[in-house]
Amino acid sequence: MKRRRLLSGLAAAVIVASGGAAWKFRLFGPHYPATPYDDLLNQITDREPASLFGKVALTTMPGMNASRLAQALRGQGTLAARASDDPAKGRVTEVSGWIVPKSVASYAALAASV
Amino acid sequence: MTSFLDARALPKDTVLTPDLAIIGGGPAGISLALAFADSGQNVLLLESGGLNFETPTQSLYQGSETGVPYVPLDGGRLRYLGGSTNHWGGWCRPLDEIDFESRDEVPHSGWPFTRKEIEPYFTRAQALVEAGPWIYDAADKQASDSGPVIKLGEGGIYTSWFQFSKTRNGILPTHFGERYQDDLKRARRVTPLLNANVAAIRLSHDAAKVDHLDVATLSGNRLTVTPRYVVLAAGAMENARLLLASNDVMNVGIGNGNDLVGRFFADHPIPRNVATLVLFDGRCAPFYANFLTLPNGAVMRAALSPKAKFLRDHGVVGSLTTVENDVKLDPFATAAIETTAEALGVDASRAKAFSLGCGMEPLPDPDRRVTLSQGRDALGLPRLNLNMTITDSDFARFRITLAELGRQLLAAKSGMIHLSYNSRAEWLKAMDWGNHHMGTTRMHDDPEKGVVDGDAKVHGVGNLYVAGASVFPTYGSSNPTMNLLALTLRLGDHLRQVMA
Repeated sequence: MKRRRLLSGLAAAVIVASGGAAWKFRLFGPHYPATPYDDLLNQITDREPASLFGKVALTTMPGMNASRLAQALRGQGTLAARASDDPAKGRVTEVSGWIVPKSVASYAALAASV
Repeated sequence: MTSFLDARALPKDTVLTPDLAIIGGGPAGISLALAFADSGQNVLLLESGGLNFETPTQSLYQGSETGVPYVPLDGGRLRYLGGSTNHWGGWCRPLDEIDFESRDEVPHSGWPFTRKEIEPYFTRAQALVEAGPWIYDAADKQASDSGPVIKLGEGGIYTSWFQFSKTRNGILPTHFGERYQDDLKRARRVTPLLNANVAAIRLSHDAAKVDHLDVATLSGNRLTVTPRYVVLAAGAMENARLLLASNDVMNVGIGNGNDLVGRFFADHPIPRNVATLVLFDGRCAPFYANFLTLPNGAVMRAALSPKAKFLRDHGVVGSLTTVENDVKLDPFATAAIETTAEALGVDASRAKAFSLGCGMEPLPDPDRRVTLSQGRDALGLPRLNLNMTITDSDFARFRITLAELGRQLLAAKSGMIHLSYNSRAEWLKAMDWGNHHMGTTRMHDDPEKGVVDGDAKVHGVGNLYVAGASVFPTYGSSNPTMNLLALTLRLGDHLRQVMA
């Protein structure tokens, strides 16, 4: 009885630990090849929609490429903080008719350009 | 009770001598006549049509058009007792204070008075359109049981409210002819004369006053009306037409010494599907897209409108944006929403999208005008040509307002917006019109800038006044009927004093 309990406990611990690891290292989420901009891009959980949106966003930013976008975005705070802050400060832009925070357009453009 | 007279049945060359002749039995004419019911003055209400729609009479409205595509001239109005209230939608909303102001960014703006001048008449106007108690922008609280207003961050747009003329339980809005027929019959000194078309306003030789009116019927009868005072209340197009066509003494037309009669015509552009509204939680209170009947009977609908400060700060003009239908989203739209919502830390898994419609205030434009054309109607009156315009600036200014709505949605993390149109061609393709005819005899104290003065009297003509939205110098975005009634009631008070 004690052994069975011990095994059950161990099994549960393994499951919890695996879940934690999966969350921590995104084992079950989308996988993306490493880029020099992962410090920024890792803030986007699913880069597929961001990239789709970002392709068009990039066309509204003449002369921009991944390196320049990253340079502009670094040091501006996290995407979450910046995106929440942008609209109140009037920093919105239009991408194919969509009014979005400027930071969202820039991050999406970065996702599209790697 | 007296019954209506029919001009076709009066003896030929009859001369009528009322104290006041009102030309036009639409909402303004009927309301003015009723306002005189207890005045002791004899009032003759001249209505071109009868009690019902008749094609030959309606055909008198036909005309030609140039400029951007517009509703046929005999299509947006009705020529029988009650006028265009016989097909109106019943939407009511008072003009805003800023609508009366002179603004640098709106050329030709500025009324001769502030909104305070007509505020005392709103209650009576509201009663005439049977829109229930005066609620409008105080409705947020009363409607809260049906859902919250759309959450917006601080900024230029807010939820504003329409009220409706008696659209209750399927009953149509107040048709003034039908609704006030008995009241007109009860008014002993008011004589409604049906099938009576004013064919000309005849001035005295010195052009200082109206001497008489030539009245004609489609059956060939001719009458003369010799009133002490005249109020022209035939709608913005016909008011201008009669003034321009009555050119025997003033060859440019009555009140047209400064070439203003017929200019500054306006209607509210109502482009469809101007934008897509996305609400992240998918919940849009029903009063944005449908009628809401409050326990007190008032019928309301919410719209999104710019605040006065926003109009001033951004040089835009009024608009009322309404939620229309559910919209399906394409993959790009879904990507835009998912990306934005994730960045904002918002769950958008239940997001829903809705199309937006709107009523825009057009900028005053002297080239948007009615003029007399070569064609003549069955009574021999010159027909009208309308040159309709809408500028890129009209569209661009409204776009600024929509973008502000989008910004405020993002600031509140409640949703976002997609603007549908960029090019003039796209806007024009989506264009519809409110059939709210305004302008053409604009009000200004300076005769060089207006056809009528602040009392709605035609400059230079002692006994000729104009009622209706043709006197609006600027237009606001609110539907005109209730506002033109308030102005008409004000005119009624003024005339009663002058005529006493």
